[in-house]
Amino acid sequence: MWLDFPIYASAAFVCWLAASGLFLSSGKKMLNQLAAGFSFAGIAFLLVFITILWTHIHRPPMRTLGETRLWYAIFLSGIGLVSYLRWKYKWLVSYSLGLAMVFLIINLQHPETYDKTLMPALQSPWFIPHVIVYIFAYAMLGASSLVALRNLFFAPTEKTIKGPIQMADNLVYLGFSFLTLGLLFGALWAKDAWGHYWTWDPKETWAFITWMFYLVYIHYRFRHANEHKKAMAVLAVSFAVLLICWFGVNYLPSAENSVHVYSE
Amino acid sequence: MSNEESRKTGVHRWSYREGTMVTAAILLLGFALQAASGGIVLRIAGFPWNMLAGLAFLGLLILVFVIRPKHSIVKGLGSVKAALPAILGFTFLVLLMGFVKQDVEPKNTLVKLFGLTHLVKTWPFILINLYLMILLGIITIKRLTPFNFKNAGFFLNHFGLFLVLFSTTLGSSDMQRLTMNCYENQTESHAVDASGKMIEMPFSIKLVNFSIDEFRPKVTIVDNKSGQIVLNKGKAQLEMMDRDSFTIASYHIKVEQFLESSGKSEDFYIKKNESGSAPSAKVTVNNPTDKTEISGWIFSGSYSKPPEMLQLNESFSLAMLPPEPQKFSSELNIQTKTGKNRSTVIEVNMPYSIEGWTIYQTNYNTEMGRWSNLSVLELVRDPWLPLVYMGIFLMMAGAAFLFITGKPKNGGIEHVA
Repeated sequence: MWLDFPIYASAAFVCWLAASGLFLSSGKKMLNQLAAGFSFAGIAFLLVFITILWTHIHRPPMRTLGETRLWYAIFLSGIGLVSYLRWKYKWLVSYSLGLAMVFLIINLQHPETYDKTLMPALQSPWFIPHVIVYIFAYAMLGASSLVALRNLFFAPTEKTIKGPIQMADNLVYLGFSFLTLGLLFGALWAKDAWGHYWTWDPKETWAFITWMFYLVYIHYRFRHANEHKKAMAVLAVSFAVLLICWFGVNYLPSAENSVHVYSE
Repeated sequence: MSNEESRKTGVHRWSYREGTMVTAAILLLGFALQAASGGIVLRIAGFPWNMLAGLAFLGLLILVFVIRPKHSIVKGLGSVKAALPAILGFTFLVLLMGFVKQDVEPKNTLVKLFGLTHLVKTWPFILINLYLMILLGIITIKRLTPFNFKNAGFFLNHFGLFLVLFSTTLGSSDMQRLTMNCYENQTESHAVDASGKMIEMPFSIKLVNFSIDEFRPKVTIVDNKSGQIVLNKGKAQLEMMDRDSFTIASYHIKVEQFLESSGKSEDFYIKKNESGSAPSAKVTVNNPTDKTEISGWIFSGSYSKPPEMLQLNESFSLAMLPPEPQKFSSELNIQTKTGKNRSTVIEVNMPYSIEGWTIYQTNYNTEMGRWSNLSVLELVRDPWLPLVYMGIFLMMAGAAFLFITGKPKNGGIEHVA
């Protein structure tokens, strides 16, 4: 349960800190492998925690913002690790671990009381796929925005940018396909739960805006393969919109009566 | 409308200038029309006019493509130079919806004039939708001729979105959403729409039984003076009564006896199962700071019975909150005018469909809670739904293509999702 969270989170934190340090400091293969091992260990700690939490509260831990942040930390670090194993970009895995640690810190700062109730509208076979697909998309797109920020501020030359920008594209295409699926799963679920597949509820509106921004990126990249900086700027702004959709909506006056504000 | 704007500039290849001008012109025209019509709420014509208009639209799209496929306007409308400004224009309108609260009474005259509180039903929104449909339609036909399997992903994504926009826009007025209030053991054959108009249904519904499953109630600490729940760092401290002992705000609580459904008898509670019964518990509370121990009953209260708290000291009391619903369901008997008789149980997320209508469980008398004899049903008819679903499934398949094939190579001339 959440009471034990600081223990698991600290363990994951230490593992990831060690992993990032090793990735950034050394060029030796052995040490890189050790770093990958540490990254995995951190993920494993959180997986154990979320499994215990799930069995303890008798419902999928996917309702509150704190719970979604936990999944996000797991997915983001997982994506960082897999992309390291696949493409050997050490900076991306370090950045991903860094961002995942930020999310752990936010969760530590806002301790949750574990709430076992789950309102009838959320009791549906769509609940788990909808949330998991979305958080996975968010993690992919979060990783892509890390690539974008690096390309914007630590500007590699036109020659060396090709690799990182291809990686941003790959992450966006994967992330966008999951974002689309999450949106459409949501529509199918809404039809069953509320009688209509789309009601322009504030969360739906912002999810749609997020989708449109990534659509702009994809179409822009498609015809302007060499305008790297502008494309990266679009990608960075898109992630800001995504964050509004995820957290910001709860604070918007236009969203007072949103059916998606379940907690906090 | 877009063609008039672009004809002057339409002799050469489109750049973003043309694309942006067309989108801007559509938005301006839309807002001007909206203001000129005094901020009315637009409604698309119903069946059969919407279907005829849709068929005419499809026919025109195909006709234009057959007669002048190489015309610079057709080529321009089928390019990213038109698509990007259009996407941005649409995004601009949706952003307005994201910041201005929708479906409320407009607060000032400007908001009212441009219809900003019901943007989906305004001229700019419908015009930009139409424009997007034209772009998507042209680009879909373009990619389909000649057909190449490498364009399958592109087709799924663009035609899927086209179908969704097409069917939701045209079908919006054929959709009916009605509310029916059913009382236990009574038969109802009328429902009301959003404007309060009574409508006779092609069937009657008898509510055989309405029931609620509840979670175990939660307990919390209440301030004696204000009667409010005590907050710790802005959050209420709540514990669910699903264990024999637990700790809340440093008080140790031992549950001696828990009654799911109970009523008061003199100064204690006993099992009861009649209207107004509610959960109660006998607890012993241990305060480690002043080493006191208090025993007594707490009762959540119901619509007809007052709650009972246990006073812990001068400042605080222990209170049991009304239990939250875990599931609510209605057992229905439906008799159609065509002679069908069906018995079914519906609950949230589990609607039932009959004769083109889908019946949803939406509400009940929340004040009475599980003793409610009222079940509120929503009845929905949406004849365009199969087309919407087809669009959604095409887009899902398109998303799978994006996932598998990733970013198109060689500038996306071939093999585009």
